[in-house]
Amino acid sequence: MYKARHAWMFLAPAGVLLATFSLIPALAALVLSFTNYNVFQPVEWVGLDNFIKAFHDKKFWSALGNTFYYWILVTPALVVLPVFIAILVNQKLMGIKLYRLVYYFPALVSVVVTAILWNWMFASDGIFNYIISLININPINWLTSKEFVMVSLALVTVWQGLGYYMLFYLAGLQSVPTDLYEAAELDGAGIWQKHFFITFPMLRPVIFFITVMSTMSAFKEFTLMLAMTEGGPIGASTTVVYLVFEKAFKQLDMGYASAISFLLFIIILILTLINKKALDRTY
Amino acid sequence: MQINTVSTNKPAIKMRKPLNGVRIVRSIASYFLLTFVAVIMIVPFLWSISTALKGQNEAIFSFPPKFIPANITLENFVTVWNSLPIPLYLWNSTVLAFWGVLLPLLFCSLAAFPLARMNFKGKNIVFLIILSTMMIPGEVTMIPIYLILDKLKLIGSYSGVILPGAVSAFGIFLLRQAFVGIPKDIDESAIIDGASPRQVWWYILIPMVRPMLATLAILSFIGAWNNFLWPLLILQDPKTYPLTVGLYDLKGTFVTNTRLVSAGAIIALLPIMIVFVAFQNFFIKGAYSSAVKG
Repeated sequence: MYKARHAWMFLAPAGVLLATFSLIPALAALVLSFTNYNVFQPVEWVGLDNFIKAFHDKKFWSALGNTFYYWILVTPALVVLPVFIAILVNQKLMGIKLYRLVYYFPALVSVVVTAILWNWMFASDGIFNYIISLININPINWLTSKEFVMVSLALVTVWQGLGYYMLFYLAGLQSVPTDLYEAAELDGAGIWQKHFFITFPMLRPVIFFITVMSTMSAFKEFTLMLAMTEGGPIGASTTVVYLVFEKAFKQLDMGYASAISFLLFIIILILTLINKKALDRTY
Repeated sequence: MQINTVSTNKPAIKMRKPLNGVRIVRSIASYFLLTFVAVIMIVPFLWSISTALKGQNEAIFSFPPKFIPANITLENFVTVWNSLPIPLYLWNSTVLAFWGVLLPLLFCSLAAFPLARMNFKGKNIVFLIILSTMMIPGEVTMIPIYLILDKLKLIGSYSGVILPGAVSAFGIFLLRQAFVGIPKDIDESAIIDGASPRQVWWYILIPMVRPMLATLAILSFIGAWNNFLWPLLILQDPKTYPLTVGLYDLKGTFVTNTRLVSAGAIIALLPIMIVFVAFQNFFIKGAYSSAVKG
């Protein structure tokens, strides 16, 4: 009843846009990473030079280390904490919807506003230093010391992600059949046993999904660093993508930057596969 | 929190099981925990609001921190509003968000129609290619997209900010699923009655997937309103900056004036807060449906 001509007409606008801003750029990035393109000079094919350069580049290794550190700080917290929050807001209590909304709201705040809000929290006379002064710890330079900058940024990320991932767990919890709990109750299971033997196994697909999602976003994070610390102090919060951004748009070393972004893509891919293997085995 | 004090003894009404001591203790403990987490989530906002409301003579940082200003004043908001082109930034953000919502709705629903309801050669391959673009990471395509926009002479223009996000594979997928759920004979009878495919799409199918369109609209709105990286990379004239980039500038300019920067942040926060409160259900639904793709 429809002609093929109609189908292609409806597909055309989206097709052109996806090709221009997704498919072609992906191929172009691959090609660029084998060239020395830097805007000023004519493009030259350099083979694997960019990748070899990355292996000898201290900045790259330090950025990779920072990224892994940030991932280890952020992802376990974002996989585990929202489960408990989801269990908490999955009760039938008055006003529970309002709590859900309040928890979710930080996820909607733009990175620039987030940076401003948290700059005050981390200020030298800010709230965090007040709290630790109550237990007699000396003030910490949250954002300006090498030791604490990643911890501080991770705190912000967890704050922003809690409510977002909570929603996924909540959806998962609500799809657990209630008769499972009732049967367990009849068998005399307590509240923790019920969660351990029913809730957590049933949430397995959600746990995998969130591990993958939060891993990917941790490895790609850089706008938070851009808005809060500009990669500092002395490169301590320069993540891999921040380095890509810096190389590409400040030093215009587009070829090298593309190569780094590809290396990161491969790392993320490997991690995703490991995640899947690990989760398949634990259950 | 008010809710806490008002409702600790009320939930019993909603419960199926009779009231007993254990249940009351448990719900009090729940409210305690719920409120504790809520406070953690809210404190950064409260702190900024309180800072923005403090006068020039009042210390911002004190031990212990003071959340309630001695003299509440709006002078910081007035100063920010007058010294920065805030209305202009707001307008720019609105323009970008308008196109950032309208174009994905239009292009995704156009593309989803044949993928859901037509049979044509190459349909499966096209759908597969569209889905595969969801897996292309943004940090890899960031540089080539910039170079393509440069070739198209779109650097510095709104088109350069809007077009890369004007269609999303995820949106196509979402609407395709919605279109698939509508019975097939509807199209047939409409075509027999003389309707064109465009009319079937616009008059019959689009009205039937309104909830999904609303969900996509909300998701696109958050993305467009909070977009920071692309406007920062593409736009050159400060007069064209949206709020996010304008605020980033403000942060740099008034780095020492905490009160003003806070006031600016609150102004930037208000629109998204209003939209969130007005459309809260769609936000939650949107987050759920983005879980579906995983």
